[in-house]
Amino acid sequence: MKRKLLLPVVLSLIISAQAIAAQGNKENGKAIYDKKCWWCHGEKGGGDGPAAKFLNPPPRDFTAGWYKFKTTPFDEITPADADIFRMISGGMNHVSIWRGMSGTSMPNWGDVLKEQERLDLVAYIKSLSGLEQPQKPSIDYKNQVKSSKESIEKGKEIFKKMCTECHGEEGKGDGTKKLKDDLGFRTWPRNFTKPWTFRVNNDPKEIYTRISNGIPGTQMPSFADPSSKKTLSDEERWHVANYVASLGNDVKKAKDDTVLKAIRLIGELPDKIDDPKWNEAEPTSFWFIPQIIAKERFFTPSLDSITARAFYNDKEISILLEWDDRTKSIPGDEKAKEIAEGDMLEDSVAVQFPVIIPEEMEKPYFGMGDSAKPVNIWQWRSGKKDSPESVKLMNANGFQKIEQRDVAKAGLKATGVYNNGTWRVVMKRALSTEEKDKDTQFVEGKYTPIAFAAWDGSNGESGSKHVMTTWYWLLLKPATSKSTYIIPLIVALIVFGGELLLVRASRK
Amino acid sequence: MKIPRLLLFVILVAISYFIFKAPGIFLKQPIPSSLIVMYMFFAVVTILLWMTSTEEGMQGLVGPIKAMIEDPSKKTLRNIVFLIVPLLAGGITYMQLRPTYEAPVELRSIHPAPPSTVKVFGKTFNLMTLENPYRKVEKEDPAKFAQLVKEGGEVYFKNCFYCHGDKLDGRGHYAHGFNPLPANFTDIGTIAQLQESFLFWRIATGGPGLPKEGAPWISAMPIWENFLTEDEVWKVILFLYNYTGYVPRSWAK
Repeated sequence: MKRKLLLPVVLSLIISAQAIAAQGNKENGKAIYDKKCWWCHGEKGGGDGPAAKFLNPPPRDFTAGWYKFKTTPFDEITPADADIFRMISGGMNHVSIWRGMSGTSMPNWGDVLKEQERLDLVAYIKSLSGLEQPQKPSIDYKNQVKSSKESIEKGKEIFKKMCTECHGEEGKGDGTKKLKDDLGFRTWPRNFTKPWTFRVNNDPKEIYTRISNGIPGTQMPSFADPSSKKTLSDEERWHVANYVASLGNDVKKAKDDTVLKAIRLIGELPDKIDDPKWNEAEPTSFWFIPQIIAKERFFTPSLDSITARAFYNDKEISILLEWDDRTKSIPGDEKAKEIAEGDMLEDSVAVQFPVIIPEEMEKPYFGMGDSAKPVNIWQWRSGKKDSPESVKLMNANGFQKIEQRDVAKAGLKATGVYNNGTWRVVMKRALSTEEKDKDTQFVEGKYTPIAFAAWDGSNGESGSKHVMTTWYWLLLKPATSKSTYIIPLIVALIVFGGELLLVRASRK
Repeated sequence: MKIPRLLLFVILVAISYFIFKAPGIFLKQPIPSSLIVMYMFFAVVTILLWMTSTEEGMQGLVGPIKAMIEDPSKKTLRNIVFLIVPLLAGGITYMQLRPTYEAPVELRSIHPAPPSTVKVFGKTFNLMTLENPYRKVEKEDPAKFAQLVKEGGEVYFKNCFYCHGDKLDGRGHYAHGFNPLPANFTDIGTIAQLQESFLFWRIATGGPGLPKEGAPWISAMPIWENFLTEDEVWKVILFLYNYTGYVPRSWAK
């Protein structure tokens, strides 16, 4: 009896939820839209507000009526109201303090708009393209295959055959195909090793939804569509979803810790980039943001974070820089040109230190120093088809006053390798140099400001157009002294001795 | 029911410790551990003074300890306690001595005192008397004012919202890459406390225009004098107040 009752109850709940969604008031929605949304999405919803041309990806065009992240099936263009409601509400991702849709400028409105206001917006937005209720219900997850070693293995096999052309061998979005959406905007496949960059999230159910329904308006097809050459069975789609969800690599996510700790080694520092010794160094990741401070500002970055590791011994310091870049940019190379955006330039990475390590708080300006306080910049460039990789050493007092310096004289070395969507570059220099007033002199135990920058040459980045970080810290971590262990031991013994005396005294 | 005095002592110490830890747990504004050690010292001394102020209280506190040491039937308990106490002492000492590698604390003034004059847009402005030339339009011509606010909004969404956010909450899509975080205009502690001339100065001269106490070397605020006109700066200020519903502080009164 009870069981029979349950189904109607659940069904009526679902129906009433939809009914509530349908109750959004279009006029109220328009009032909110005209205050908060039009700046990006345009006065008439055409995705052409004043901010639009500075945004990548571009804001959704509501007059077109298609939505990328919907739960209705591939053969149903209309999204569920709940899909639009969810995009407005946000709060699904966690790129640091950003709670909107990751990798976009769509914030989470859930904290400033009441539920009813968001429902009103749904009603208004749908009216901009005359959308009705979808004919088909959202897909369900009743046949979900729970993630397991076997499922992930099966998903990997399918992925290797079907997905790598766009998503890359290791799923970093470093495919060999240039992708555009239906409006002609360049699109990039997600980097599956960075699940916090997924527009929605990396729950296998979400991934399964994208695989099954495709991403409308983009070249991501539906793998549930029986008329497609790429049809996968329901079970196969779950395997792929489980595999994709397993690719996340938390090391690449920047944490609260802002100190890159260089580990002290006895003997030689690893010379080769692929030396397994690097695994013993402590990785620290930092967020990249585009250079939006000085002319010419840059708003369409492709790189979003960098991971650094460092070793030092009594003579030298060695820093390993790793960052995911979907394209290896080699100017002059025909194959690299196919996927590039506009003119192709070299890929590049740089680290920056104050020439004089500050004793107090005051540092050089983080954007290439200032007139009073110069910075040391080490820059590596990937090289062109006919010229090899190169290293530059610069001293800057602001971006307009740069002195090119002799790399060999300072003993600066750098070399890089690109593999499956990731650059790895090692930079090495002596702790101290001859020109003490021009080169940063590294000292064990001293907090040294460090900042990073990178250029993706296939994304039109050069000069002031690049991504960068603010000041963080590099610390040559001193070996822990023996007294750290011995003193607690002595304290424990003294306390124990005191206890013995107490017992003796009490027995007298 | 009477709580044993020794247990009461432990409970009171635990409560004080929790009170000192609470700001860190709930507000993410922890009290530095060195201060907590000091506070705890005073708390323990105060509790001890209070509890041992009478002979009876003293007995209640010391009695169980004495009994534990002297009473042969409590030998096992004694041995356990005598093992735990030195280990605890050693452990606490290690935690104190252990080197930590947290980033150095950097203090900066969020609203440093403005200079009396500022030279921007090829002119010298007296910040002590400067007013928004468009402010009077608010009463004189509301329709024109709405248009000015809209123009200011367009300036904001072409230039500022990447950091200061769609919602003016200082949480733009690039905010996470900066330290300090961009100003949150919806916070009662920012523009609501300031005069329009202060905003004019902060916008026009940007991060590098901050005095030293404002840590200009880490502020990502561009020098807007290089990008915007004087007119656009005043309009964007109108927009900030209009959108958040705050009223600028005025000179009079």
